[in-house]
Amino acid sequence: MSDVPMMGGSAASSGAAPSDAVSAFERHRAELRASKRGWTIFALVMFAICVGLSVWISNFYPERLASGVPRIFEYFGTIIPELEWANLFEGRDADGRAVPGSLTYWYTDFWDYAQLIWETILMAMTATLIGAGLAFVLSFPAAANLAPNSWIYWFSRRFLEICRGIPEILLALVFVFMIGIGPLAGVLAIAIHTAGALGKLFAEVNENASSRPVDGITAVGGSWPEKMLYGVVPQVAPNFFSYAMLRFEINVRASSIIGFVGAGGIGQELNRVISFYSDDRVLAVLILVVLTVTVIDLISERIRHRFIGRENL
Amino acid sequence: MTTATFDALTDTQINAAQAAQPGAFGTTWGTVKRWAPLVIAVIYVIVSMWYFDFGRLLDASDRVWALLRNFVVWRDMDEWAYRQIYVGISQTLAMAFLGTLLGTLGSLFVGFLAAKNVMPFGIVRQIVRRFLDILRGIDQLVWGLVFVRAVGLGPLAGVLAIFVSDLGTLSKLYSEAIENIDRKQVEGIRSTGAGPLAVIRYGYIPQVLPVFISQSLYFLESNTRSATILGIVGAGGIGMIIIERFRASLYDQVAFVVLNVLVLIFAIDWLSKRVRLWAIGAQGER
Amino acid sequence: MLKLENLSRRFGDNTAVARANLEIPDGQMVGIIGRSGAGKSTLLRLLNRLTDPSEGKIVFAGTDIAQLKGRELREWRSDCAMIFQQFNLVGRLDVITNVLTGRLYTMPAWRSMTQVFTPRERAFAIQALDRLGMAHTALQRAETLSGGQQQRVAIARALAQEPKILLADEPIASLDPMNAKVVMDALRSINQQDGKTVICNLHTLDTARNYCDRIIGMSAGKIVFDGTPDLLTTSMAREIYGAEAEDFDEASTSTALPETEAVTALKEAAAHV
Repeated sequence: MSDVPMMGGSAASSGAAPSDAVSAFERHRAELRASKRGWTIFALVMFAICVGLSVWISNFYPERLASGVPRIFEYFGTIIPELEWANLFEGRDADGRAVPGSLTYWYTDFWDYAQLIWETILMAMTATLIGAGLAFVLSFPAAANLAPNSWIYWFSRRFLEICRGIPEILLALVFVFMIGIGPLAGVLAIAIHTAGALGKLFAEVNENASSRPVDGITAVGGSWPEKMLYGVVPQVAPNFFSYAMLRFEINVRASSIIGFVGAGGIGQELNRVISFYSDDRVLAVLILVVLTVTVIDLISERIRHRFIGRENL
Repeated sequence: MTTATFDALTDTQINAAQAAQPGAFGTTWGTVKRWAPLVIAVIYVIVSMWYFDFGRLLDASDRVWALLRNFVVWRDMDEWAYRQIYVGISQTLAMAFLGTLLGTLGSLFVGFLAAKNVMPFGIVRQIVRRFLDILRGIDQLVWGLVFVRAVGLGPLAGVLAIFVSDLGTLSKLYSEAIENIDRKQVEGIRSTGAGPLAVIRYGYIPQVLPVFISQSLYFLESNTRSATILGIVGAGGIGMIIIERFRASLYDQVAFVVLNVLVLIFAIDWLSKRVRLWAIGAQGER
Repeated sequence: MLKLENLSRRFGDNTAVARANLEIPDGQMVGIIGRSGAGKSTLLRLLNRLTDPSEGKIVFAGTDIAQLKGRELREWRSDCAMIFQQFNLVGRLDVITNVLTGRLYTMPAWRSMTQVFTPRERAFAIQALDRLGMAHTALQRAETLSGGQQQRVAIARALAQEPKILLADEPIASLDPMNAKVVMDALRSINQQDGKTVICNLHTLDTARNYCDRIIGMSAGKIVFDGTPDLLTTSMAREIYGAEAEDFDEASTSTALPETEAVTALKEAAAHV
């Protein structure tokens, strides 16, 4: 493409046989447009076929959508609590009953929810720590420049790929079958997925680390673990920390839904209220979950920035 | 001055060095500060292992082996409902495709509403952004569950769940791409006397289209993965088949289906990479 | 006595070191000179076994160094300290810990993994730093130091190893003339006072002449000169540095400050302030 204007320019300035240059340019342009048009039409046809097939396979027909959409709004209508301004901040009366229309009435089970949210955060913390520990250990053999030999490299890479390839919730399903309902299944599932995801990121950080300090430690007679600990870890530690904190944020989200398959946390309650009731309890739990996730994100962001700020001093 | 050998170092010399450079011999506080994070983390993990009852893992060994054996040993393969399985897989693909497509179309509109340099009214922008925050704050799986309650079991709920969560994330990414464009090109179009829509069409779209296309293709990949999961809450696709087979203890079929899904995800990743190269490459030439 | 027999190293079709034969008696200070790419760095890295030889022997005290593996290889490396052009310190660790890494080979694994150093090790490291005039920086991060200071810390790390041989790969190529002199003086003092063998890659001829007992010239992987500095004639040097040095002049490879009029004027001005 870039030579086209140049051709025109040189023909005009030299004044030699302009018709040749123009016709060559026109021919070139026509070919280009024809080939481009061919591709564009091909892409559009393929796209249309994909849309048509998808609509057919998933029964996504306009009439189904038309009948479905009003029901969505109906449903959202049912989960909104009936709050009354006058009674909003009323406590419980003498008999210990909450007044309808008050926040206390809406959040009758608040302390149950709070305990589950606490459990959710603990699950995320434990899973992140265990996963990050495993990822830390595996990230050195899984880094192309540090692996002691190609066998260990190949195996640790594949292991990390398997760990992050299987969705957490499927793993949780399997663990719930093996060890029963409860948060342990969720912790294990999230920890394994975390090990895979963080292991890959850590290994990439390791691969970008400077080889000079590692050479230095090799030259003093350091063993492989000593080369990693003294030559690599000081370089990569701040990045590892940031990635682990980011993963913690992701894991709080994950542990808030992993209860859908019975693996503990607030998800179990969320699943229960959405599946069995369609009233204001659904919104009550949803709001708590969104608030938790947002607050954890904010705190974690603060910590990361403070840590990195201090590191750069 | 020569250096005394390591072994010949006398206690007097060691004490003299310590007196001269006390900091280099490590302080108690320094040791505590160095080790505290690791010690706290280890103690936390041990306590939480006890809290979450990690011992149960040891009692489960016979079930673990039974499960692993059933994953590997496939029985009565000619009686498996292959048709149902592959319909489920194509349903998953269709859900991911339609959900991403609708999410992209919606985000094209909403993204411009949330971009600072296009949307002149701050209030509108703020409302749109808070709305997007809420959409993003709720997980796709929760949206799936909610839509199953609202429109019933099946892929429609899945498509809607993907659409809504994509709308939240893609709109944000799109609006950031729009805010990061080169002002000069837009001013060039505006200087020709073009109207606001023409400015968007010729000043903004050519710059942001490659970013939009590649982001939407990334979302198609990730939605193919998450569409598998959506079936677990009843929102259509192969996930429904996985959980149904799992509940019926047909673990060999679960393993078969999961393998198929992994191949599908691999294929979609590859295809999406090719399309992205083709689309962005073509865009670069224009 | 360090003895090289037919030592070679090839990278693909490229021969970096070709059949090198050398005998270096204990306590000698040897300078290796040559153009960049002549194989000087590879030769030093072969001696420390940071690079494995393609063929040939390295014999020290009756052992073939080229065949060593595992713990014995690490023992050899700890006996044969290496100083690098880019210092190769761990930038984010403090200076004292960098020097203490020189003791890693002698430490049990549990102590090296937990970074627990004995007072004796710390005192020894301080002593090594003090010899290079760097003890006051012990608690700073290595990356906050200037290039010359980092190289002195690297030499202190080498001293902490209590090596039998000191290898220095272009130790002054990244330094200004002032720091270059400090570093070369330190290497010379280690050689003369401690009696350790020092083998040093240098790209400047005058440095090699000033500091070394023996000069080895390399060109295209081969050893083309081996003798005392006074045997190194200008025509010999021309051969070592190759055809590019048609109008070869020793000053052109020098890093010493030329005493030009401008420098003299600056010094006078400084004296008056």
